[in-house]
Amino acid sequence: MKEIIDIYKKYKEVFWQLAYREIKARYKQSVLGYAWAVIVPLLNLLVLSVVFSNLFRVPTGGIPYPVFLFAALVPWTFLSNAITTATGSIISNASLVTKVYLPREIFPLAAIASKSIDLLLTCLVLVIFLFFYGVSFKLTMLLVPIIFLVQLILIIGVSLILSAANVFFRDIENIQSVFLTIWMYLTPIIYSTEQIPESLKPLFYLNPMTGIINAYRDAILFGKFPVNLPFIYSSIFSLFILAFGFYFFRKNSKYFADVI
Amino acid sequence: MESVIEFKSISKKYKRGRRLFLKQALLDLFRPNKQEDFWALKDISFKIRKSETVGIIGDNGSGKSTILKLIAGVVAPTSGWISVNGKVSPLIELGAGFHPELTGRENIYLNGTILGLTEREIDKKFDEIVAFSELENFIDTPVKHYSSGMYMRLGFSIAISVDPDILLIDEILAVGDISFQKKCFEKIKEFKRKEKTIVIISHSMEVIRMFCEKAMLIRNGRCIGFGDTKKLVGSYIKYQDNS
Repeated sequence: MKEIIDIYKKYKEVFWQLAYREIKARYKQSVLGYAWAVIVPLLNLLVLSVVFSNLFRVPTGGIPYPVFLFAALVPWTFLSNAITTATGSIISNASLVTKVYLPREIFPLAAIASKSIDLLLTCLVLVIFLFFYGVSFKLTMLLVPIIFLVQLILIIGVSLILSAANVFFRDIENIQSVFLTIWMYLTPIIYSTEQIPESLKPLFYLNPMTGIINAYRDAILFGKFPVNLPFIYSSIFSLFILAFGFYFFRKNSKYFADVI
Repeated sequence: MESVIEFKSISKKYKRGRRLFLKQALLDLFRPNKQEDFWALKDISFKIRKSETVGIIGDNGSGKSTILKLIAGVVAPTSGWISVNGKVSPLIELGAGFHPELTGRENIYLNGTILGLTEREIDKKFDEIVAFSELENFIDTPVKHYSSGMYMRLGFSIAISVDPDILLIDEILAVGDISFQKKCFEKIKEFKRKEKTIVIISHSMEVIRMFCEKAMLIRNGRCIGFGDTKKLVGSYIKYQDNS
Protein backbone atom coordinates (compact mmCIF):
# COMPACT_ATOMS: atom_id res chain seq x y z
CA MET A 1 0.00 0.00 0.00
CA LYS A 2 2.82 2.40 0.87
CA GLU A 3 4.43 1.62 -2.42
CA ILE A 4 1.24 2.55 -4.24
CA ILE A 5 1.03 5.89 -2.44
CA ASP A 6 4.68 6.70 -3.21
CA ILE A 7 4.16 5.94 -6.86
CA TYR A 8 1.02 8.04 -6.87
CA LYS A 9 2.80 11.05 -5.39
CA LYS A 10 5.65 10.93 -7.84
CA TYR A 11 3.56 10.36 -10.92
CA LYS A 12 0.42 12.24 -9.90
CA GLU A 13 0.63 14.75 -12.72
CA VAL A 14 1.27 12.19 -15.44
CA PHE A 15 -1.67 10.22 -14.12
CA TRP A 16 -4.03 13.19 -14.39
CA GLN A 17 -2.65 14.25 -17.74
CA LEU A 18 -3.25 10.77 -19.14
CA ALA A 19 -6.77 10.65 -17.73
CA TYR A 20 -7.42 14.15 -19.04
CA ARG A 21 -6.14 13.14 -22.45
CA GLU A 22 -8.64 10.27 -22.60
CA ILE A 23 -11.47 12.48 -21.44
CA LYS A 24 -10.71 15.28 -23.89
CA ALA A 25 -9.99 13.09 -26.85
CA ARG A 26 -12.83 10.63 -26.56
CA TYR A 27 -15.74 12.72 -27.63
CA LYS A 28 -13.91 15.43 -29.52
CA GLN A 29 -15.11 14.21 -32.86
CA SER A 30 -18.70 13.39 -32.05
CA VAL A 31 -21.41 15.99 -32.44
CA LEU A 32 -23.13 15.27 -29.16
CA GLY A 33 -19.89 14.95 -27.22
CA TYR A 34 -20.31 14.01 -23.61
CA ALA A 35 -24.07 13.71 -23.96
CA TRP A 36 -23.28 10.18 -25.18
CA ALA A 37 -22.12 9.25 -21.71
CA VAL A 38 -25.71 9.82 -20.58
CA ILE A 39 -27.63 8.86 -23.71
CA VAL A 40 -26.26 5.31 -23.91
CA PRO A 41 -27.18 4.29 -20.35
CA LEU A 42 -30.57 5.99 -20.75
CA LEU A 43 -31.30 4.03 -23.92
CA ASN A 44 -30.27 0.84 -22.13
CA LEU A 45 -32.54 1.77 -19.30
CA LEU A 46 -35.42 2.45 -21.65
CA VAL A 47 -35.13 -0.90 -23.42
CA LEU A 48 -34.69 -2.90 -20.23
CA SER A 49 -37.51 -1.02 -18.47
CA VAL A 50 -39.97 -1.65 -21.28
CA VAL A 51 -39.10 -5.34 -21.43
CA PHE A 52 -38.94 -6.06 -17.74
CA SER A 53 -41.79 -3.96 -16.37
CA ASN A 54 -44.22 -5.38 -18.94
CA LEU A 55 -43.08 -8.86 -19.92
CA PHE A 56 -41.47 -10.12 -16.76
CA ARG A 57 -42.56 -8.82 -13.43
CA VAL A 58 -39.68 -8.12 -11.08
CA PRO A 59 -40.46 -7.80 -7.36
CA THR A 60 -38.90 -4.45 -6.52
CA GLY A 61 -40.17 -3.93 -2.97
CA GLY A 62 -42.61 -1.20 -3.99
CA ILE A 63 -40.01 0.82 -5.92
CA PRO A 64 -40.88 1.80 -9.52
CA TYR A 65 -38.92 -0.54 -11.79
CA PRO A 66 -36.99 2.16 -13.75
CA VAL A 67 -35.44 3.56 -10.54
CA PHE A 68 -34.89 0.07 -9.15
CA LEU A 69 -33.00 -0.76 -12.34
CA PHE A 70 -31.11 2.51 -12.73
CA ALA A 71 -29.73 2.45 -9.17
CA ALA A 72 -27.93 -0.75 -10.19
CA LEU A 73 -27.29 0.09 -13.83
CA VAL A 74 -25.28 3.25 -13.06
CA PRO A 75 -22.59 1.51 -10.97
CA TRP A 76 -22.57 -1.47 -13.32
CA THR A 77 -22.08 0.70 -16.42
CA PHE A 78 -19.10 2.32 -14.70
CA LEU A 79 -17.59 -1.05 -13.87
CA SER A 80 -18.13 -2.35 -17.37
CA ASN A 81 -16.75 0.77 -19.11
CA ALA A 82 -13.80 1.08 -16.77
CA ILE A 83 -12.73 -2.54 -17.12
CA THR A 84 -13.15 -2.44 -20.90
CA THR A 85 -10.93 0.63 -21.39
CA ALA A 86 -8.42 -0.44 -18.78
CA THR A 87 -7.93 -3.85 -20.41
CA GLY A 88 -6.75 -2.31 -23.66
CA SER A 89 -4.81 0.49 -22.00
CA ILE A 90 -1.33 -1.02 -22.13
CA ILE A 91 -1.65 -1.91 -25.79
CA SER A 92 -3.14 1.45 -26.76
CA ASN A 93 -0.24 3.19 -25.02
CA ALA A 94 2.32 0.92 -26.69
CA SER A 95 4.40 3.84 -27.95
CA LEU A 96 4.85 5.08 -24.39
CA VAL A 97 5.37 1.67 -22.82
CA THR A 98 8.25 0.89 -25.17
CA LYS A 99 9.89 4.29 -25.03
CA VAL A 100 9.55 6.02 -21.70
CA TYR A 101 9.86 4.64 -18.23
CA LEU A 102 6.64 5.14 -16.29
CA PRO A 103 5.20 2.79 -13.71
CA ARG A 104 2.95 0.74 -15.96
CA GLU A 105 0.09 0.71 -13.46
CA ILE A 106 -0.51 4.29 -14.47
CA PHE A 107 -2.14 3.29 -17.76
CA PRO A 108 -5.02 1.12 -16.46
CA LEU A 109 -5.50 3.47 -13.51
CA ALA A 110 -5.73 6.55 -15.74
CA ALA A 111 -8.14 4.67 -18.00
CA ILE A 112 -10.39 3.97 -15.02
CA ALA A 113 -10.15 7.58 -13.85
CA SER A 114 -11.12 8.84 -17.29
CA LYS A 115 -14.46 7.06 -16.90
CA SER A 116 -15.29 8.98 -13.74
CA ILE A 117 -16.78 11.79 -15.85
CA ASP A 118 -19.30 9.35 -17.32
CA LEU A 119 -20.07 8.11 -13.84
CA LEU A 120 -20.60 11.64 -12.55
CA LEU A 121 -22.99 12.46 -15.39
CA THR A 122 -25.04 9.28 -14.98
CA CYS A 123 -25.16 9.89 -11.22
CA LEU A 124 -26.72 13.29 -11.90
CA VAL A 125 -29.35 11.61 -14.04
CA LEU A 126 -29.96 9.09 -11.26
CA VAL A 127 -30.54 11.92 -8.78
CA ILE A 128 -33.07 13.46 -11.16
CA PHE A 129 -34.75 10.05 -11.44
CA LEU A 130 -34.96 9.72 -7.67
CA PHE A 131 -36.66 13.12 -7.45
CA PHE A 132 -38.95 12.34 -10.34
CA TYR A 133 -40.14 9.04 -8.85
CA GLY A 134 -40.50 10.55 -5.41
CA VAL A 135 -37.80 8.54 -3.65
CA SER A 136 -37.14 10.56 -0.51
CA PHE A 137 -33.74 11.34 0.97
CA LYS A 138 -32.46 8.73 3.40
CA LEU A 139 -29.56 8.95 5.83
CA THR A 140 -28.19 5.65 4.49
CA MET A 141 -27.51 7.41 1.18
CA LEU A 142 -24.50 8.95 2.90
CA LEU A 143 -22.94 5.48 2.97
CA VAL A 144 -22.86 5.23 -0.84
CA PRO A 145 -19.20 6.42 -1.02
CA ILE A 146 -18.16 3.43 1.11
CA ILE A 147 -19.92 1.03 -1.25
CA PHE A 148 -18.32 2.82 -4.18
CA LEU A 149 -14.89 2.47 -2.62
CA VAL A 150 -15.31 -1.30 -2.40
CA GLN A 151 -16.51 -1.38 -6.00
CA LEU A 152 -13.53 0.72 -7.12
CA ILE A 153 -11.13 -1.67 -5.39
CA LEU A 154 -12.72 -4.55 -7.26
CA ILE A 155 -12.54 -2.66 -10.58
CA ILE A 156 -8.86 -1.80 -10.11
CA GLY A 157 -7.99 -5.38 -9.19
CA VAL A 158 -9.79 -6.90 -12.18
CA SER A 159 -8.41 -4.21 -14.52
CA LEU A 160 -4.81 -4.85 -13.45
CA ILE A 161 -5.15 -8.56 -14.08
CA LEU A 162 -6.88 -8.20 -17.46
CA SER A 163 -4.68 -5.38 -18.77
CA ALA A 164 -1.49 -7.30 -17.98
CA ALA A 165 -2.83 -10.57 -19.37
CA ASN A 166 -4.01 -8.79 -22.52
CA VAL A 167 -0.43 -7.88 -23.40
CA PHE A 168 0.47 -11.54 -23.68
CA PHE A 169 -2.84 -12.85 -24.99
CA ARG A 170 -4.64 -10.34 -27.18
CA ASP A 171 -7.70 -12.60 -27.18
CA ILE A 172 -8.66 -11.17 -23.82
CA GLU A 173 -9.94 -8.01 -25.45
CA ASN A 174 -12.41 -10.12 -27.42
CA ILE A 175 -13.41 -12.45 -24.64
CA GLN A 176 -14.01 -9.74 -22.10
CA SER A 177 -17.21 -8.35 -23.62
CA VAL A 178 -18.74 -11.82 -23.34
CA PHE A 179 -17.32 -12.15 -19.84
CA LEU A 180 -18.86 -8.82 -18.83
CA THR A 181 -22.26 -9.75 -20.28
CA ILE A 182 -22.30 -13.05 -18.40
CA TRP A 183 -21.17 -11.30 -15.25
CA MET A 184 -23.99 -8.78 -15.64
CA TYR A 185 -26.62 -11.52 -15.89
CA LEU A 186 -25.18 -13.23 -12.83
CA THR A 187 -25.58 -9.98 -10.89
CA PRO A 188 -29.01 -8.78 -9.68
CA ILE A 189 -29.16 -5.71 -11.93
CA ILE A 190 -32.22 -6.22 -14.09
CA TYR A 191 -33.79 -8.59 -11.57
CA SER A 192 -33.97 -8.93 -7.82
CA THR A 193 -32.18 -11.33 -5.49
CA GLU A 194 -35.58 -12.48 -4.26
CA GLN A 195 -36.14 -14.26 -7.56
CA ILE A 196 -33.19 -16.58 -6.98
CA PRO A 197 -34.23 -20.02 -5.68
CA GLU A 198 -33.19 -20.48 -2.06
CA SER A 199 -31.00 -23.48 -2.93
CA LEU A 200 -28.92 -21.46 -5.41
CA LYS A 201 -28.48 -18.40 -3.21
CA PRO A 202 -25.14 -19.40 -1.58
CA LEU A 203 -23.68 -19.87 -5.07
CA PHE A 204 -25.23 -16.62 -6.22
CA TYR A 205 -23.62 -14.65 -3.43
CA LEU A 206 -20.14 -15.87 -4.42
CA ASN A 207 -20.23 -13.16 -7.09
CA PRO A 208 -18.76 -10.10 -5.34
CA MET A 209 -20.94 -7.72 -7.37
CA THR A 210 -24.10 -9.21 -5.86
CA GLY A 211 -23.30 -7.86 -2.41
CA ILE A 212 -22.23 -4.52 -3.85
CA ILE A 213 -25.33 -3.97 -6.03
CA ASN A 214 -27.67 -5.01 -3.21
CA ALA A 215 -25.85 -2.62 -0.88
CA TYR A 216 -26.43 0.24 -3.32
CA ARG A 217 -30.15 -0.57 -3.48
CA ASP A 218 -30.40 -0.91 0.29
CA ALA A 219 -28.72 2.44 0.87
CA ILE A 220 -30.37 4.43 -1.93
CA LEU A 221 -33.83 2.94 -2.32
CA PHE A 222 -34.81 1.11 0.85
CA GLY A 223 -33.04 3.14 3.54
CA LYS A 224 -31.56 -0.06 4.96
CA PHE A 225 -28.11 -0.19 6.54
CA PRO A 226 -26.10 -1.64 3.62
CA VAL A 227 -23.23 -3.27 5.48
CA ASN A 228 -24.35 -6.88 5.82
CA LEU A 229 -22.66 -10.25 5.49
CA PRO A 230 -22.65 -10.41 1.65
CA PHE A 231 -21.23 -6.88 1.49
CA ILE A 232 -18.45 -7.73 3.93
CA TYR A 233 -17.67 -10.78 1.83
CA SER A 234 -17.54 -8.53 -1.27
CA SER A 235 -15.15 -6.17 0.50
CA ILE A 236 -12.75 -8.94 1.49
CA PHE A 237 -12.97 -10.51 -1.94
CA SER A 238 -12.26 -7.14 -3.61
CA LEU A 239 -9.22 -6.49 -1.43
CA PHE A 240 -7.91 -9.92 -2.26
CA ILE A 241 -8.39 -9.30 -6.00
CA LEU A 242 -6.64 -5.94 -5.68
CA ALA A 243 -3.64 -7.47 -3.90
CA PHE A 244 -3.42 -10.29 -6.40
CA GLY A 245 -3.91 -7.81 -9.27
CA PHE A 246 -0.96 -5.69 -8.16
CA TYR A 247 1.22 -8.74 -7.63
CA PHE A 248 0.31 -10.18 -11.03
CA PHE A 249 0.76 -6.85 -12.81
CA ARG A 250 4.13 -6.13 -11.18
CA LYS A 251 5.42 -9.56 -12.01
CA ASN A 252 4.49 -9.30 -15.67
CA SER A 253 5.04 -5.61 -16.36
CA LYS A 254 8.81 -6.13 -16.65
CA TYR A 255 8.19 -7.95 -19.91
CA PHE A 256 5.59 -5.62 -21.45
CA ALA A 257 8.12 -3.75 -23.58
CA ASP A 258 9.64 -7.04 -24.80
CA VAL A 259 6.35 -8.28 -26.12
CA ILE A 260 4.39 -5.30 -27.41
CA MET B 1 35.42 10.67 -12.44
CA GLU B 2 32.26 8.86 -11.42
CA SER B 3 30.50 6.71 -13.96
CA VAL B 4 26.97 7.80 -14.78
CA ILE B 5 25.98 4.70 -16.70
CA GLU B 6 27.45 1.32 -15.97
CA PHE B 7 26.62 -2.04 -17.57
CA LYS B 8 28.07 -5.18 -16.03
CA SER B 9 27.88 -8.27 -18.25
CA ILE B 10 24.41 -7.43 -19.50
CA SER B 11 22.57 -9.92 -21.65
CA LYS B 12 19.12 -9.51 -23.11
CA LYS B 13 17.09 -12.35 -24.50
CA TYR B 14 13.93 -11.92 -26.53
CA LYS B 15 11.64 -14.75 -27.35
CA ARG B 16 11.03 -15.07 -31.03
CA GLY B 17 7.77 -16.56 -32.18
CA ARG B 18 6.01 -15.39 -29.05
CA ARG B 19 2.46 -16.46 -28.59
CA LEU B 20 0.26 -13.42 -28.64
CA PHE B 21 -2.94 -15.18 -29.52
CA LEU B 22 -4.66 -18.11 -27.94
CA LYS B 23 -4.86 -19.76 -31.35
CA GLN B 24 -1.09 -19.71 -31.70
CA ALA B 25 -0.64 -20.96 -28.16
CA LEU B 26 -2.92 -23.90 -28.90
CA LEU B 27 -1.20 -24.67 -32.19
CA ASP B 28 2.18 -24.48 -30.50
CA LEU B 29 1.13 -27.25 -28.18
CA PHE B 30 1.46 -29.59 -31.14
CA ARG B 31 4.74 -28.19 -32.36
CA PRO B 32 7.07 -27.84 -29.45
CA ASN B 33 10.27 -25.78 -29.62
CA LYS B 34 8.57 -23.23 -31.80
CA GLN B 35 9.82 -20.53 -29.45
CA GLU B 36 13.42 -19.85 -30.15
CA ASP B 37 15.43 -17.52 -28.02
CA PHE B 38 17.04 -14.54 -29.61
CA TRP B 39 19.92 -12.87 -27.82
CA ALA B 40 19.77 -9.15 -28.61
CA LEU B 41 22.75 -8.47 -26.36
CA LYS B 42 25.34 -10.82 -24.97
CA ASP B 43 27.65 -10.05 -22.10
CA ILE B 44 27.99 -6.31 -22.62
CA SER B 45 30.02 -4.33 -20.09
CA PHE B 46 30.94 -0.66 -20.24
CA LYS B 47 31.14 2.52 -18.22
CA ILE B 48 30.12 5.98 -19.37
CA ARG B 49 31.39 8.85 -17.28
CA LYS B 50 29.77 12.19 -16.64
CA SER B 51 29.79 14.69 -19.53
CA GLU B 52 30.95 12.10 -22.03
CA THR B 53 29.29 11.81 -25.42
CA VAL B 54 29.27 8.25 -26.66
CA GLY B 55 28.16 7.07 -30.08
CA ILE B 56 26.90 3.56 -30.62
CA ILE B 57 27.50 2.20 -34.10
CA GLY B 58 26.67 -1.08 -35.74
CA ASP B 59 24.42 -2.68 -38.35
CA ASN B 60 20.65 -2.79 -38.13
CA GLY B 61 19.51 -5.35 -35.59
CA SER B 62 22.86 -5.48 -33.84
CA GLY B 63 21.33 -4.41 -30.53
CA LYS B 64 21.95 -0.66 -30.46
CA SER B 65 18.41 0.37 -29.59
CA THR B 66 18.18 -2.32 -26.94
CA ILE B 67 21.08 -0.64 -25.12
CA LEU B 68 19.20 2.66 -25.08
CA LYS B 69 16.04 0.93 -23.90
CA LEU B 70 17.98 -0.67 -21.06
CA ILE B 71 19.43 2.70 -20.06
CA ALA B 72 15.97 4.27 -20.15
CA GLY B 73 14.68 1.43 -17.96
CA VAL B 74 12.02 0.46 -20.47
CA VAL B 75 13.14 -3.15 -20.74
CA ALA B 76 14.78 -5.26 -18.06
CA PRO B 77 18.01 -7.20 -18.69
CA THR B 78 17.85 -10.99 -18.72
CA SER B 79 21.05 -11.14 -16.74
CA GLY B 80 23.64 -8.68 -15.53
CA TRP B 81 23.60 -5.47 -13.60
CA ILE B 82 22.89 -1.88 -14.65
CA SER B 83 23.34 1.35 -12.79
CA VAL B 84 22.12 4.69 -14.13
CA ASN B 85 22.55 7.85 -12.08
CA GLY B 86 20.59 10.90 -13.11
CA LYS B 87 17.48 11.98 -14.92
CA VAL B 88 17.27 10.27 -18.29
CA SER B 89 15.50 11.90 -21.18
CA PRO B 90 14.75 9.54 -24.02
CA LEU B 91 14.75 11.13 -27.42
CA ILE B 92 14.11 7.67 -28.69
CA GLU B 93 11.07 8.40 -30.74
CA LEU B 94 9.81 11.91 -31.04
CA GLY B 95 6.19 12.42 -30.32
CA ALA B 96 5.65 9.08 -28.62
CA GLY B 97 2.52 9.61 -26.61
CA PHE B 98 1.15 12.45 -28.67
CA HIS B 99 -2.57 12.17 -28.99
CA PRO B 100 -3.65 12.99 -32.54
CA GLU B 101 -6.98 14.52 -31.52
CA LEU B 102 -5.41 16.93 -29.04
CA THR B 103 -3.88 20.27 -30.00
CA GLY B 104 -0.19 21.07 -29.96
CA ARG B 105 -0.68 23.01 -26.73
CA GLU B 106 -2.42 20.10 -25.00
CA ASN B 107 0.20 17.67 -26.23
CA ILE B 108 3.00 19.84 -24.82
CA TYR B 109 1.47 19.47 -21.38
CA LEU B 110 0.80 15.78 -21.85
CA ASN B 111 4.23 14.91 -23.22
CA GLY B 112 6.02 17.25 -20.83
CA THR B 113 4.59 15.55 -17.76
CA ILE B 114 5.31 12.14 -19.26
CA LEU B 115 8.95 13.15 -19.64
CA GLY B 116 9.04 14.22 -16.01
CA LEU B 117 8.21 17.93 -15.94
CA THR B 118 5.66 19.37 -13.55
CA GLU B 119 2.81 21.45 -14.87
CA ARG B 120 4.31 24.59 -13.38
CA GLU B 121 7.64 23.95 -15.09
CA ILE B 122 5.82 23.56 -18.39
CA ASP B 123 3.96 26.84 -17.83
CA LYS B 124 7.34 28.53 -17.50
CA LYS B 125 8.93 26.82 -20.48
CA PHE B 126 5.88 26.87 -22.72
CA ASP B 127 6.85 29.89 -24.85
CA GLU B 128 10.37 28.61 -25.22
CA ILE B 129 9.14 25.22 -26.42
CA VAL B 130 6.76 26.77 -28.93
CA ALA B 131 9.40 29.20 -30.18
CA PHE B 132 11.97 26.45 -30.70
CA SER B 133 9.46 24.34 -32.62
CA GLU B 134 8.48 27.35 -34.79
CA LEU B 135 4.86 26.26 -34.54
CA GLU B 136 3.39 29.47 -33.10
CA ASN B 137 0.62 29.56 -35.68
CA PHE B 138 -0.40 25.93 -35.31
CA ILE B 139 -0.20 25.44 -31.58
CA ASP B 140 -3.98 25.23 -31.17
CA THR B 141 -4.44 22.86 -34.09
CA PRO B 142 -4.90 19.13 -33.39
CA VAL B 143 -1.60 17.42 -34.11
CA LYS B 144 -3.24 14.99 -36.53
CA HIS B 145 -3.22 17.86 -39.01
CA TYR B 146 0.52 18.38 -38.56
CA SER B 147 3.00 17.30 -41.20
CA SER B 148 5.51 14.71 -40.05
CA GLY B 149 8.14 17.43 -39.89
CA MET B 150 6.00 19.59 -37.63
CA TYR B 151 5.22 16.59 -35.46
CA MET B 152 8.89 15.89 -35.05
CA ARG B 153 9.80 19.49 -34.35
CA LEU B 154 7.28 19.68 -31.54
CA GLY B 155 8.48 16.38 -30.10
CA PHE B 156 12.10 17.46 -30.18
CA SER B 157 11.34 20.83 -28.62
CA ILE B 158 9.55 19.21 -25.69
CA ALA B 159 12.19 16.55 -25.20
CA ILE B 160 15.08 19.03 -24.99
CA SER B 161 13.19 21.28 -22.58
CA VAL B 162 13.34 18.58 -19.91
CA ASP B 163 16.93 19.45 -18.96
CA PRO B 164 18.05 15.88 -18.35
CA ASP B 165 21.35 14.64 -16.94
CA ILE B 166 21.51 11.93 -19.55
CA LEU B 167 20.28 12.43 -23.08
CA LEU B 168 19.55 9.41 -25.27
CA ILE B 169 19.31 10.05 -29.00
CA ASP B 170 18.26 7.35 -31.42
CA GLU B 171 18.65 8.23 -35.07
CA ILE B 172 16.36 11.20 -34.83
CA LEU B 173 18.77 13.66 -36.33
CA ALA B 174 18.39 12.15 -39.77
CA VAL B 175 14.90 13.57 -40.25
CA GLY B 176 13.69 17.11 -40.66
CA ASP B 177 14.81 19.87 -43.00
CA ILE B 178 18.34 21.19 -43.01
CA SER B 179 17.65 24.37 -41.06
CA PHE B 180 15.93 22.47 -38.28
CA GLN B 181 18.71 19.89 -38.27
CA LYS B 182 21.18 22.69 -37.76
CA LYS B 183 19.15 23.91 -34.82
CA CYS B 184 19.16 20.45 -33.30
CA PHE B 185 22.91 20.18 -33.72
CA GLU B 186 23.32 23.54 -31.99
CA LYS B 187 21.15 22.33 -29.14
CA ILE B 188 23.21 19.17 -28.73
CA LYS B 189 26.40 21.23 -28.67
CA GLU B 190 24.81 23.35 -25.97
CA PHE B 191 24.08 20.20 -23.96
CA LYS B 192 27.69 19.20 -24.38
CA ARG B 193 28.83 22.57 -23.09
CA LYS B 194 26.59 22.06 -20.08
CA GLU B 195 28.48 18.81 -19.43
CA LYS B 196 25.52 16.52 -19.95
CA THR B 197 26.07 12.86 -20.66
CA ILE B 198 24.87 11.97 -24.13
CA VAL B 199 24.45 8.62 -25.87
CA ILE B 200 23.83 8.77 -29.62
CA ILE B 201 22.83 6.06 -32.04
CA SER B 202 23.34 6.97 -35.64
CA HIS B 203 24.12 5.45 -38.99
CA SER B 204 25.61 8.75 -40.02
CA MET B 205 29.32 8.49 -39.28
CA GLU B 206 29.53 12.25 -39.75
CA VAL B 207 27.21 12.83 -36.81
CA ILE B 208 29.16 10.35 -34.68
CA ARG B 209 32.49 11.96 -35.58
CA MET B 210 31.11 15.45 -34.97
CA PHE B 211 29.82 14.86 -31.44
CA CYS B 212 31.30 11.77 -29.87
CA GLU B 213 34.69 11.50 -28.26
CA LYS B 214 34.03 7.83 -27.60
CA ALA B 215 32.26 5.18 -29.62
CA MET B 216 31.03 1.66 -29.10
CA LEU B 217 30.93 -0.80 -31.98
CA ILE B 218 28.28 -3.51 -31.68
CA ARG B 219 28.03 -6.59 -33.83
CA ASN B 220 25.42 -9.32 -33.32
CA GLY B 221 24.74 -8.25 -29.76
CA ARG B 222 28.37 -8.21 -28.71
CA CYS B 223 30.52 -5.21 -28.01
CA ILE B 224 33.61 -5.55 -30.20
CA GLY B 225 35.13 -2.19 -29.45
CA PHE B 226 34.77 0.69 -27.04
CA GLY B 227 36.98 3.71 -27.12
CA ASP B 228 38.41 6.19 -29.59
CA THR B 229 35.78 7.30 -32.12
CA LYS B 230 38.08 7.73 -35.13
CA LYS B 231 39.54 4.26 -34.80
CA LEU B 232 36.21 2.51 -34.35
CA VAL B 233 34.42 4.42 -37.09
CA GLY B 234 37.34 3.56 -39.34
CA SER B 235 37.19 -0.13 -38.56
CA TYR B 236 33.40 -0.15 -38.94
CA ILE B 237 33.62 1.42 -42.40
CA LYS B 238 36.36 -1.02 -43.37
CA TYR B 239 34.27 -3.96 -42.18
CA GLN B 240 31.30 -2.76 -44.21
CA ASP B 241 33.40 -2.31 -47.34
CA ASN B 242 34.68 -5.85 -47.02
CA SER B 243 31.33 -7.52 -46.53
